[in-house]
Amino acid sequence: MAQSKLDLLQGTLDLLILRTLESSQALHGWAISERIEQISQDVLRVNQGSLYPALHRLEHQGWIKAEWGVSELGRRARFYRLTLSGRKQLELETNDWERLSAAIGRVLKMA
Amino acid sequence: MNRHDLLLRIRGLFLRRRAEQELDDELRFHLEMSAQKNAAGGASSEEAARLARVRFGGIDRAKEDCRTVRGTQLVESTLRDIQYALRGFRRSPLFVLTVVGTIALGLGLNTALFTIFSTYVLRPLSVHDPSSLYSFAWANRSGSEHRFSWRDFEKLRETNLAFSEVMATEYLFGRMDGRPMSGELVTGNYFKMLGVSAARGRTLLPEDAAAPGKDPVMVLSYITWRNKFGSDPNIVGKKLVVRGYPLQVIGVAKEGFGGLVSAPPDYWAPLTMAGQLEPGADLRLWIIGRLQPGWSLSQARAALAIWAKQETADLPDPEKAASVILQSNATTIRLSPQVIIAFSPLMTAFGLVLLLACANVANMLLARAMARQREIGIRLSLGAGRRRLIRQLLTESVLLAIPAGLAGFLVSRGSIDLGVRAMFATLPSDMAELIPAVSLPPDVRVFVFMLIAALVSAFLFGLAPAIQSTRANVMLAARGEFTSDVRPMRLRNALVIGQITVCALLLICTGVMIRGAREMRNVEIGFRTRGTLFIELSDKDRPKVLSHLAIAPAVEGIAAVQSIPLDGMLPNLIISTGDRPRTVNAWHNHVSPEFFNVLEIPILEGRSFTREEAAAGAPVAVISELAARTLWPKADAVGGQIRVQRDPQSDWGEPLPKYRAVRVVGVARNIISCSIPYGPDPALIYFPSTLAGSGSLMLRVRGDVETVRRALVSDLDTMFPGAVNQIHPMDQAFELNVYPFRVAAWVGSTLGGLALLLTLSGIYGVLSYLITQRTKEIGIRMALGATTGEVTRLVLRQSGRLAAVGVALGTALALGVSRLFASHLVFLNTFDSVAYTAGVMLVVAASLAAAYFPSRRAARIDPIATLRYD
Repeated sequence: MAQSKLDLLQGTLDLLILRTLESSQALHGWAISERIEQISQDVLRVNQGSLYPALHRLEHQGWIKAEWGVSELGRRARFYRLTLSGRKQLELETNDWERLSAAIGRVLKMA
Repeated sequence: MNRHDLLLRIRGLFLRRRAEQELDDELRFHLEMSAQKNAAGGASSEEAARLARVRFGGIDRAKEDCRTVRGTQLVESTLRDIQYALRGFRRSPLFVLTVVGTIALGLGLNTALFTIFSTYVLRPLSVHDPSSLYSFAWANRSGSEHRFSWRDFEKLRETNLAFSEVMATEYLFGRMDGRPMSGELVTGNYFKMLGVSAARGRTLLPEDAAAPGKDPVMVLSYITWRNKFGSDPNIVGKKLVVRGYPLQVIGVAKEGFGGLVSAPPDYWAPLTMAGQLEPGADLRLWIIGRLQPGWSLSQARAALAIWAKQETADLPDPEKAASVILQSNATTIRLSPQVIIAFSPLMTAFGLVLLLACANVANMLLARAMARQREIGIRLSLGAGRRRLIRQLLTESVLLAIPAGLAGFLVSRGSIDLGVRAMFATLPSDMAELIPAVSLPPDVRVFVFMLIAALVSAFLFGLAPAIQSTRANVMLAARGEFTSDVRPMRLRNALVIGQITVCALLLICTGVMIRGAREMRNVEIGFRTRGTLFIELSDKDRPKVLSHLAIAPAVEGIAAVQSIPLDGMLPNLIISTGDRPRTVNAWHNHVSPEFFNVLEIPILEGRSFTREEAAAGAPVAVISELAARTLWPKADAVGGQIRVQRDPQSDWGEPLPKYRAVRVVGVARNIISCSIPYGPDPALIYFPSTLAGSGSLMLRVRGDVETVRRALVSDLDTMFPGAVNQIHPMDQAFELNVYPFRVAAWVGSTLGGLALLLTLSGIYGVLSYLITQRTKEIGIRMALGATTGEVTRLVLRQSGRLAAVGVALGTALALGVSRLFASHLVFLNTFDSVAYTAGVMLVVAASLAAAYFPSRRAARIDPIATLRYD
């Protein structure tokens, strides 16, 4: 079952994290990884080992903000929220991604 | 790096434990959630947890990646290195103390020198906007500077050209209240233009210098007020007699202000008082302007050149301006290539001592690194990066350099204090009184220098050992062999040879200077200084003082002289004999007939002047032996005619004989008129003058010269207050001439001594280490029948080899340096063979002495005991 899943492309994890956080309130790391896999209908597989370094990196960039809160099951968890500059960054990266994928698509069709 | 990043990094650094805890918590939560999901899928709890971990991947790897994001590893690993190094230091306090002491000594001496350099050359003067101050002068075609008169200054001020404001000053030596003091006559805008306020009373105002002779006031310098007037709170309003003229103190200038020159004056008085303070003398003004805002230096130079050329267009050629000189007055001494060149031998010598200290410490660190070879080898074979290890070893060096820097600061303060004290203790006493106590406070520049020097030395002494000791072969280290592949001896030998080289160089140079200073004291100056005084009188009291001196019992003889001997170059003349066209440059002086007698200068041929000739201003001359031989190589000089011409290139406004041709009446032995380092005079020609005329007086006195001087001063000061401007024994003029060379010899001896000590300990260290390394070999040699004498020789030979190479290199360097300086230091025999021999012998003796104790130890090696080790 794992074989059928696609590993994430280098650099796209950040984009997906930002996008996931945009459409919801604060989420913890587990929920982010679950949400990505769920929305991608289990096609994408998040490398959990690189999820947390990515989250921390985004936090250092100031695009997301972390706070300790209580999870739905009453456990202490670290919740991440998109910041204003994160929203702008997402817009930029979404744009870039769309241009890139459109370009690749065109090349694939033409060639 | 943005704000969030910085904050998070700082948090990561200071709340490291908490950040780690949070990372743990966060990952654990993830794993638990993951396990829960697996459990919900039907796995047992253990299996669920295992699957969660498998799904997550390397947990420690993820943690490490998160830490990398935190960006604090560099700091953290450095902190770990520091802790590690400090633990090591605690185990060997003696080592640390030696290193810190050695480096502190080197750093301290260099910082002391830099403090002096910085104070005079780098530190801006404590006046308003010092960088816009420029001194201005113009020069004629042959390069001699124009002598600025009051009229020149007025004209410059009226043009309003290039400068927003100009001022003029003139230096004035004289006695104030019976003590030699120096003053500066200044224009009324001096203090306002420099923005210097008063610590007490007020400073001079333009109104104080409105009309000639109207305002007899003065401002004291702070340091003079404190040191010479005991910080007298009632000083303002008091009258002080300067050159016989009472001036009222109106204030004390602010602390730290000592004028714009390197010899700070004791007081400032209005330039309009010049007529009273030095009647009859022509002014020679020093002009300083403040560059107008928006003007560049080259613009100002061009504009002033045009102006000066216009002003002097109608004057005879030698007075025409050909170029202008515009020099910054931002610091006491302008930073120029000449200043750097003058300072560089000193800086090099001091720097070499620091280098020696670094070499010593590098040697010690190498020995220590060899002892730690096992530890380093193990760490390397466990996968520690070499770069990382070098960084750790350099951290250690920096940690040693920092306390060394702090201790070095204390050394620098101590040596400056000692140096200043020594200077005042050894300076000729009259000079010591004229120089105000110099204050050399450390400033930011000094601290920055200290820090950089400390870090540079840390790298100098730390880098080679760090690189060398991490070169261990991992394969060998893993087998437990830690020394076979490392050849530190070559590096250590190179260091010691370097030390011996530098030491030999410094000692030879010191030897040359010591011999030079001694030589200078023995130089035949051609006249008698013992029991001779010179006096400068104010003109109005001259006849009365002369008649008093004539009957004073202590005075054996009086002579008048235009230029006192040993007080600098004499004005030049162009002379020729009547019958030959060839001209000769000759110095000239005006002396009264008694001069040759009072100074005991033998008249070799002919006679001195007669009183009648002097009184009548007869066209006669006495010439020096050299002049006689130059003009009349074969014939008799006495009776010959000399044609005299003014030298346009050396026009100092000195009085000239009124006639064009003179008759030689006598030939006097050569003397040294200028200064001892300058050496014997070129051709010299004396013209007659009278006691009553002008010039200084030379007195030959009976008994102790100091006692006589004191008695004369107290008599003259009560009878004719202000008549005596200066009175100094000629012995002091002589001492002052050789003083700089004595100082150079002392500084050289100190540095040479330190170099010798450092080299001694360097050789000792290397040989001791060598013995430890070769214990087995020596043991075998002895077991095979080598005598203790042979073993001792083995060690001495090792030292001798190092010494031979080092001494050869040092001597070669010294010869090179000598060649470099030979043309500049004519008074020193830079190729003095005695100095070279002595320096070489000293170094060789020291090398053998340093080898003696290690060689004794080698000779005592017990062959049985050493062989039993294996």
